This record gives sequence, C-alpha cells and structure tokens, in this order.
Amino acid sequence: MKRILLLILLVSFFAEINAQTNTTKLTGLYLGMSFERFAEKLESESDYKFYFKKADVENLQVNLQARDTDIRMVLDQVFAESGLSYSIDASKRVWVSKGKRMLIDFPQDYFLVQEKQDDNLARAGDSLSAFDKNKRFVIGKSADNPQSKTAILSGVVTSIESGKPMNGAIVLEKVNYSQIATDQNGNYKLTLPKGRHTIWVQNIGGFQEQRQIDLKGDGVLNMSIEETILSLDEVVVSSGAMSNLNKLDMGVQSITIAEVKRLPAVMGEVDVLKGVLIMPGVNTVGEATSGFNVRGGAADQNLILYGNSTIFNPTHAFGFFSAFNSDMVNGVELYKGSIPVNYGGRLSSVLQVDPKFGRKDKIGGSGGIGILTSRLSLEGPIGEKTIFTVGGRTTYSNWALDLLDDDADLNDSKITFYDINANIQHNFNEKNVIELTAYLSQDDFRFDADTTYSYQNINLALGWKHFFNDQLEGRFTVGSDNYQFGIRGEDNPLNSFDFGFDVQQLFLRADFEYRKNENHIMKFGVHGIQYTLNPGSNKPYGSESIVIEKNLDEENAREVSVYFGDEFTVSEKLSVSYGGRYMLYQLLGPMTVNQYVDGEPITESNLTGEQTFGSGESVQTYHGPEFRASARYTLTNKSSIKAGFNTMRQNIHLLSNTSSISPTDSWKLSDTYIKPQTGGQASLGYYRNLAKNRLEFSTEVYYRYMSNLLDYRSGANIILNENIEQDVLNSDGKAYGLELLLKKSTGTLKGSLAYTYSRSLMKTSDEPSIEKINGGDFYSSNFDQPHHLVLVANYELSKRVNTSFNLNYGTGRPITLPISKFDYAGSERVYFSERNAYRIPDYFRIDFSVNVEGSHKIKKLAHSSWSFGIYNVLGRSNPYSVYYTPVEGQLKGYQLSIFARPIPFITYNFSF
Amino acid sequence: MNRLVVLILLCVALVSGCREPFEPDIKAADLTVLVVEGYLDTEGLPSQLKLSYTRNIQLDDSSLPSYPSAEVYLESASGMDYPLTDLGGGVYEFAYDIPENDNYTLRIMSSDGKSYTSELIKPILTPEIIDVGFEKNENGVEVYLTTKGDQNADDFLWTYEETYAFRPKISSSYRYDSEQEDVVIRSFDERTTLCYRGEVSADLILETSSRFEDQFVFRQSITQIPQNDERLSVRYSILISQKALDKKASEFWEILRKNTNDLGSIFSPLPSNIRGNIKNDQDPTLPVVGYVSLGTVKQERYFIDVGEVIPWRADVPEYYECFIEPDTVLMEKYGQSFASGSFVPVVPIIPEGAFNPIGFQGAARRCTDCTLRGTNVKPDFWED
Repeated sequence: MKRILLLILLVSFFAEINAQTNTTKLTGLYLGMSFERFAEKLESESDYKFYFKKADVENLQVNLQARDTDIRMVLDQVFAESGLSYSIDASKRVWVSKGKRMLIDFPQDYFLVQEKQDDNLARAGDSLSAFDKNKRFVIGKSADNPQSKTAILSGVVTSIESGKPMNGAIVLEKVNYSQIATDQNGNYKLTLPKGRHTIWVQNIGGFQEQRQIDLKGDGVLNMSIEETILSLDEVVVSSGAMSNLNKLDMGVQSITIAEVKRLPAVMGEVDVLKGVLIMPGVNTVGEATSGFNVRGGAADQNLILYGNSTIFNPTHAFGFFSAFNSDMVNGVELYKGSIPVNYGGRLSSVLQVDPKFGRKDKIGGSGGIGILTSRLSLEGPIGEKTIFTVGGRTTYSNWALDLLDDDADLNDSKITFYDINANIQHNFNEKNVIELTAYLSQDDFRFDADTTYSYQNINLALGWKHFFNDQLEGRFTVGSDNYQFGIRGEDNPLNSFDFGFDVQQLFLRADFEYRKNENHIMKFGVHGIQYTLNPGSNKPYGSESIVIEKNLDEENAREVSVYFGDEFTVSEKLSVSYGGRYMLYQLLGPMTVNQYVDGEPITESNLTGEQTFGSGESVQTYHGPEFRASARYTLTNKSSIKAGFNTMRQNIHLLSNTSSISPTDSWKLSDTYIKPQTGGQASLGYYRNLAKNRLEFSTEVYYRYMSNLLDYRSGANIILNENIEQDVLNSDGKAYGLELLLKKSTGTLKGSLAYTYSRSLMKTSDEPSIEKINGGDFYSSNFDQPHHLVLVANYELSKRVNTSFNLNYGTGRPITLPISKFDYAGSERVYFSERNAYRIPDYFRIDFSVNVEGSHKIKKLAHSSWSFGIYNVLGRSNPYSVYYTPVEGQLKGYQLSIFARPIPFITYNFSF
Repeated sequence: MNRLVVLILLCVALVSGCREPFEPDIKAADLTVLVVEGYLDTEGLPSQLKLSYTRNIQLDDSSLPSYPSAEVYLESASGMDYPLTDLGGGVYEFAYDIPENDNYTLRIMSSDGKSYTSELIKPILTPEIIDVGFEKNENGVEVYLTTKGDQNADDFLWTYEETYAFRPKISSSYRYDSEQEDVVIRSFDERTTLCYRGEVSADLILETSSRFEDQFVFRQSITQIPQNDERLSVRYSILISQKALDKKASEFWEILRKNTNDLGSIFSPLPSNIRGNIKNDQDPTLPVVGYVSLGTVKQERYFIDVGEVIPWRADVPEYYECFIEPDTVLMEKYGQSFASGSFVPVVPIIPEGAFNPIGFQGAARRCTDCTLRGTNVKPDFWED
C-alpha cells in the first residue's frame, strides 16, 4: 500500500503545480451536511475525488455557501478548527488527514541532486511566482566581496492574490535557524553564509513556500506567496509575541491600519490618531481634539511624522477627524519611552505614520463612502521599477449643518476639508531606491458669514536610499514642511481684516545604518532644519477697511543635530543601546529684540530698550546634548526587563492658552526669552508572555522632568502680540506614571486591556515673573488625568464578520472652576478657583461595531466591506467642558458634551 | 462663543442634548473675597465706590451680597486726603474736583481690622464721544459709536444701559372697581397701555484706539438688537458710558469680560484669576478683586423710534396666545369675571342707540397690563 501511495505521489508531483493554478471554482449551498455527503456531492459536481478515514470526519458538519469560490478556500473553511488537513494532488484527489497535512510532495532536498544547471540562469531580482519552489536561484556575484564569508539576502515578499507586500511573513533558513519577519512593506533582509540554502517563507496562517538559492554575494530575492487569509485588510501578523520581549526599545506601541479599521469610529471615519488613543500612556483632553498627550506631555511635544515630513496640524474640522487618510497609511508607531536616536526635536514622543507606496502587480485602488466623508485611492506599478499611490479624501459634512437651516445663526455655516497624498517609489537597481511623498490638507470653516477660518498643511519629501555595501545603508532626505492658517473677518467693511500665520521648515537629513558585525547596529547621521516663521500678520480686507496693517517680525532660525547610536548585543540575554544627539540652534536676524531690566520680571514697565540685529546675524544660540540609553535583559524565554533613560530638547513651541489645540494656535521659535524646552525621562519595564505566547503582558513605570514649558499670565493675549515674552510664564513640569498592558493578538478573540496611572504637574519657575500661578506651587496640568483604562476586544464571528467592542474610562481632566460670584459693572461675575483645582466628571464610553466583508473571490471587480456600529452605546454625556454663563442675570453652570447620545454610523469600503 | 453655539446646535441636530446643567460639589471653601468697584470722577461729579464680598456660586439670586463697613478715602501723592461719604449698603460717594496731574492711592480701613491700599492711580481724562448712531441691517439694528483716542487715552471701555417703551398686546382703559361693583375707566396713574422697562447691560466692550489710523475708533459696535425685538417696538433709549483706561485696567476688564463671555467653548481660553489694583495690607497674597480708576466718564444718550426702523413687528413671547374673549360678560356677571383681576374688561359692548355698555369683552391680564413687566412712570430723561 505504501509503495502504491508513493508511486501515486511521485507521479502526481510535478502535476500539482498545474493543479494549483487551474483550481476549480465551486458554487452551491451546503447546509447541515455531514462531510461524507458533502464529499459525495462535490464528487458528483466536479471531478475531484476525496480520500479520508470515516472516523476522522464523523463529527464534521458542513455549513457554507459558495459562489464561484476556489475549492481550496471552501475546504479551508470546512476544515477550519477541525484538526484535519488536506492536500490536493494533480489528479484532483483530495487527501484528508488528521493533524499534519499529508505530504504529497517530496522533501525539497530529495530532488536537489537532480536540479538542472540551466536553473542557474534564473536571474536574481526577478519576481517569482508560487511554482518557483524547485528552481535554484543564484543570488549575487561571487566577485562582489570575496573576503566575506557571509552575504546579505534581501527582497520583498508579496501576495499572489493581491500583489501587495506582505507584512510579518517569516523568512527562514532552517540549518542555523536565521529568521526574520518582513516589515510592513514586505521587506526582509537576512545575513547568511555563502553557499546553497533552502529559504522558507511562511505567512502565519498560510502555507509554507520555499526557494532554493545559491548565495554567492549580496542580492535580492523577491517572492510571491499565497495569502490564503480571508481578509481584505492588510495581513496583520505582527512578529508580535516574541518582539515584545526581545525588542530593545521600550515604550513603543505600534498599531497597524487593519487594527485601526477594526476600532469603532466616530461617524465611521477610520482615524489613525484615534487608534493611538487606545495605547497606554496616551490621553486626550476631549473628543473633539486630535491633539493627544503622551506621558504627561503637552500636545505640541509630539513629533508627528508622515514618512519624514513633520505634520504641524494633524486634524481636520477643528479636531473631529485626523488629517491622515487611512488608505494612505500602513500603520503608526508611537515612541513614548526610549526615543530612537535618529529622532529629535520634541519633548514627549514621536508618532511615526508610515506612508504606503503601492502594490506591484497591477493598478488597483480602494475607497470608502461614509456619512460625512468619502475617500478614494489608486495604487500600482508604472513600468517595472516604479510604484505609486495617490489618494484623496473630502467631506460633505455641510449637509449636517444644513439640517440646522431653520436657525438663522447657522445659515452661513460651512465646513469643508480635503486631503491629498501622492507617494512614488522608484527602484533604480537593487542598491538605489528613491521615494517621493507629497501631502496636502486644507480646511475651511465658518460659523457665520462674517468670519472664515482656514488652515493648510503642505509637505513634500524626497528620499534616496542607497546600499553602500552589505554593512552600510544610507538614506538621504530633503523636504519642506509648511503649515499656515488664516482668519478673515468681514463683519463690517470698515473693520474687515485678513489674519495669517505660517511656518515653513526646510530640512535635509542623512541617516546611516552600519552593521559592524552581528552584535552591533550603529546609527548615525545629521539633520538640518531651516525655519521660517511668520508669527502673524493682520491686513485690512477690502478697500473700505481702515484696519491698520500689522505684521510681526518674521522669525528665522536654523537647527543642526548630529547623532550617533549603537545597538549592542552583549550576549544572548543582554542588549544595550546607547547614543546621543547634539543640537545647535540659532535664531537669526533681521530682528529687533526687547531688552529688560536684568533680574526683574519681563514686563512692559521693565522694558529698557531694544537691540536690532541685521539679516543673517545670530540673535540667540542654544546648544546642548541629548542622551539616549536603554538596555534589555532576557530573564527567561518568556520574560524580560528593560530600562531606559533619555533627554530631549525642543525649539519650537505651540502658543495656546486653550485647553485643547485649536487650529488658530500659532507656533513660536525659541528666542532670547522663550528658551528651548528641555526634559528627561527614565523608565523601567517588565515584559512577559503568557499562555503559550498567546498573551503579552507588559508594565512600565516612568518619571519625567521638563523645563522651560510655557504657561500664560492672566489675560494673556497670544495673537499678534509683539511682546509675547511679557505674557508667557516660564514653567517647570514633572510627570510620572505606571502603565499596564495585556494584549492578545491571535485567535478569534483579539484585544488589549490597557491601564495607566499617570500624573502631570506644572509650576511657574523660580525665575522672576509677573505672576506665580497658584503661588508658585505645583498644580495639575490641563491634561493631568490619573486613571485611564481602555479595553478593546475584537471577536471574529466568521471569516467575514467580526465585531469590535471598545471601553474607555478616564479621570476627568482638571478644570479651573468658578467658586464664588460677585457683582461688577451691573452684572453678576464669577470668581475662579486656583488653577486646575477641580475636575470635570470622569469619562466613560463604550462603542460597538461590526465589520462585514464581501465574498472573497479573487476574480471580482471590487472587494467590498461594510462597517457599522454605534459610538457611545450608553449615550453617556461625557462632559468635554464646563462653563458658567449669566442667564437673565443669574449665573448658571452647564456641562457641554460633544457626543451625548449613541451615535450610529455606517461606512461602505471597497478595493479593486 | 460662536463655536460653542455651533457645537451645541450640532449636538442638538445630530444627537440632541449635549448641554446639561452642571452643579459640582464645591469644597466648602468659604471664600469671601473683598470686591471693590469704582470709577471715580475727578471733575466733581458725584460718583460711587462699591464694596462687597464674593458669595458662594450656588446661592440663589435673591441672596444679597454682604459688605464690610469701612472708612474709605483717596490720598494724593502730594499729601491731600479726600474721604468718601458712606451711603450705606457698601456704597461710598466721591464728589471732589481733584487735580488730574497728581497720582493717588485709595485706602480702605475695614471695621474688622483689615486695611487695603490700591496701587498708584493716575487719572485719565476720557475724550468726548464723537457720535452715536444706528444702522439697520438684515439682522436687525446695530447701535454704534465713534470716538477718537489721544495720547493719554488709548484703551476704552464702553458699558451701556437700555430703556425702552412698550405696549401690551391688548390695550385696555378699563378696570373693575370692586367698591362700585362696576367697570370704570382707569385713571392716569392706573394706566396699563404704555410702560417703560430697562436694565444695565452686562456687556463690556473694550477696544484699543491705537489699532486704528489716527486712533479713530469708527462705528464701534455697541449692541445689536435682533429684528422684531420688543425693545424697538415703540421707542428705545440707550445710555452709553465711555471710559478711558490705562493698560492694566484694560487687562482687568478684559479678564472680567473673558471670564464672563468666552467660557466653555471648545477653544475658549482658560479662565484667569482676576485680581486688580488693590492689595490687603496685612497679607498682600490675599486675593482682592477690583480695579479702581480715576478719570472722567463721558456719556451719551441716544433714542431710536420705531418709525425710524419700520417695518418692525414686535415679537414678544410673553404675549403669545393673547386674544380678546369673544363672549360678552354681561353687567351682572362683572364681579364674577373681573373681580379676581386676572381677567380684564377690554371692549365695551354698547347696543345701537344706547349710551352705556351692557357688557364687556375681556382678555387675560397678562395680555393687557404692561405694569406686570415694567413701570408706567415715564423716566425723567425720556424724550418723546
């Protein structure tokens, strides 16, 4: 019997490849059938034959509907969680077996000897398809680097079905067990001894594929493999469980766009920044603000990068939506603890939003239609070596305002916004890649016919990636980041004005990564920024206006940082990372600087004169080092501890005396009186995998100190203030906290539970100042919310239907409350408590959503999915703010909630 | 404020009910802070200084503020003392013509042993109001003012007081006299067909003249009267006070204004501690609220008649569903119908050829009696 079987297998071996490509499509309804009947039915309807043991399939019942579906997909579903596997051979025989998949091909090396020499002709770099598994590919040239015993194999793993890069596929060499997971662009890189290897590539949940290679030098092997996962989202396989323990960085949270898409969303709008808010240590002061606070830092202390471009205002519609189109983003990574040495310039965190560069197989696209916005994007190859993505999003939320038409106040309200992304990647050859990312977002809104607000981000970056040799990789980027906003008032032709603010930064950076040997990864580089900032200009608007034009002096500055860092694997258990940056900042003329009496508060009355600086002259120079250090020690194969310390510097500040970021807050460069913000953070963490790596647990504690923060004196005016130094108060800050995270990222039930205890405190510094808030004692910052709990659960009802549940609890944010009242100027007025002495009621919200995928046939015009759900299921009125206002002479307190009722939403998404 | 309105309405439209009353638990911090209010006239016109204590925010409206008994006087840098006259109720009168080129401090000696001193105050002479006018636009009527700043007077504060004449929805010249048990014609003092009503507005309007060319503040908007508001249904009067302020005073008023008007919207500034230019001598860190200024107040009264703004149909919610009952109340039922006062005789029913009415048609008193909402005594300043 064995021999016959072997013969059959031998015969069928080469034919199997064809079978894979010419699979049969099934159509039919199979409900409540035993497997035996199902098999009979299929045998009668197709030319497949089933071979199985009756005992194996006794308990198996088939319930499914197929419409033009690949037989493999049908069988996958039938056998899912049955403990059975199957193989199909060339003669369309289906072999069902318990446990492991029955081997119907031979071990690869069996045929190794028989490999034909002409396979060597297969050129490295070719994109190979699924049936290339038995060719041997010669990679690299032996002349390249003859001394080295090892060579680097790199490439991209893409999906056969979609042509999209596959994230998290494991590329493995089984002799020394060198392995690596592909990144979100499908890239992998392995250093291997020269010679012949069998390279296995496995997409978790998918089949293993293999390639024979003969590695002669550095080279590229691109692979396409079957995805087999019934999901239209990007494949979400994080190298997760292990990396939590092994990653050297601490305080890093990443979220894939697929995870973001599963979260219940306000108005059905998939929002990357809202995804960030489920991470421990991240708070927000309210729902209508996309500004977020990381570990007790202010919202302007987050460096928000789209690729290499700094986004100054990442929100639309004054904070209701994030300005990132979810179709144009691969995922986001938030660094809140140890900030990698190649980032700098902000005090709290780095939010790296990864742009998408498009698929390689064909031109496709995706889009969505929601209640308030729609989006559309197109991606694909241009020729052999170039891929692109373009996408846009726009709103038609005016209809919501039109509903309010009967109210005269809002007749003229209007909210419009759009954003456009365009990314291109061109591979000159395997050693040179250039990338261009372009981003534009524009918002216009007004609440009456008189005043129009607008703001705009424009970002452009061009990068060149060059692989010098197998050890050194360089990346050179040049770009420009712009942000501007304007207010136009047309209340009265005589007083009509046009107010504008803009900031531009031109940047140039060179980043290098050098792998000295297996134990050292060195990063070094230089980063230069040229700032040009117009702090505000007010011009008369229209010919009748008698408003006097007022322009604040333009601010110019340059910032140069150099950095060096080394990740050193000391032993299998211990890794350390250390490094530093040195930052030089120079404010440049032309500029006129006020001078004040030394050692006295900066006030108008202490003004002694002014000093004028010529164009290009250095007005003020600040420089200083930033240190980065972290270490990881592996305790067992399931747990590790990490510790880190870093210091940061920030030269650009957001002037805002409102509790949330408003689009009309302007940025300010450090000058003679407003010093660079500096701070440091020490953190310690413990990481443990539980339940056979299915659960990840981590806890981190941190302490931060901050200097030269900005707070504002009473009645401070931050718009068009020539002497802003007279209105700001130099402040110190400190923050500390504990973060706990339990995460399950596999199985039908996925989710995370994050709890954070954190405090964020400020005090007016000891420098002489006109006002000491709360008598110079520490007070809660505006975002000091000690307890924060987020539970996200995602349950997959079937391959096509999954449900999401989100619970969010937070301590109410601090507020300065009116505590007594008095009569003044004919009306009752309010006397306020000390700064932030009270809190608004706690925040609690539950959301629920359901995602329904369309059918998963490969050959279909467009794949579609529906998302619907309810935001704030409990309808709790979570107060955003509290205010008192005189109503007919009597003072009344009100709490304002933004989403006070359950808000249903529905969105239709498609991709083609 | 507009954004607040939008958010509220957006919530109402989409989901409804996002603005709810809020009554927090205030820590029993029995904060009684001294409040000092006064703009003292330097040219001898009697002006008032008011002292009071702040009171708990949750006390209802009827609770009267408590006030200290104190001696108050103004002291000039050149050594002159000008005591203020205690008028009772925490109100003190100042009526001296004092030199404007001197500097002054205000001293308050409270009977509880505490004393308070102001920072040095320099009088500022307020320039004249150049013009007050109004403009009818699609939203109603906007009252504006024009003035011009000078070297000393750069920052301005305007406050205003409104008075208006109005009529009830239904005019009646009759009343029921319970002694005579008959309907009689109202006497002049009893008339209910034309009344006056007014109040001091809580609005504080601030502007800096140096923002404009030649410090010319042209047509500064003072108030906006919405279309068909009752205030312009007969005749309207506004008394605008113009005060020049120094920089710090204008900051004080700006905080007061912001703390009153701008709170609670998504982007509203954080409330600011309000202090002023008065300090407690025993403990200078103790809060004292109030900014006392010296100078002159310029006032202008302006009238707008309904004839100047027609068409103007008064839309008064208080008079909704007001009509004359069609059923005639016959003489024998006068007592029964009118004696309570809530139903008022309006239209006499006089048969042809007869001399006296045989009955009356009536209407609810709320629709006929303007004295329920105002006074029928014409104010002294009123010009018809």
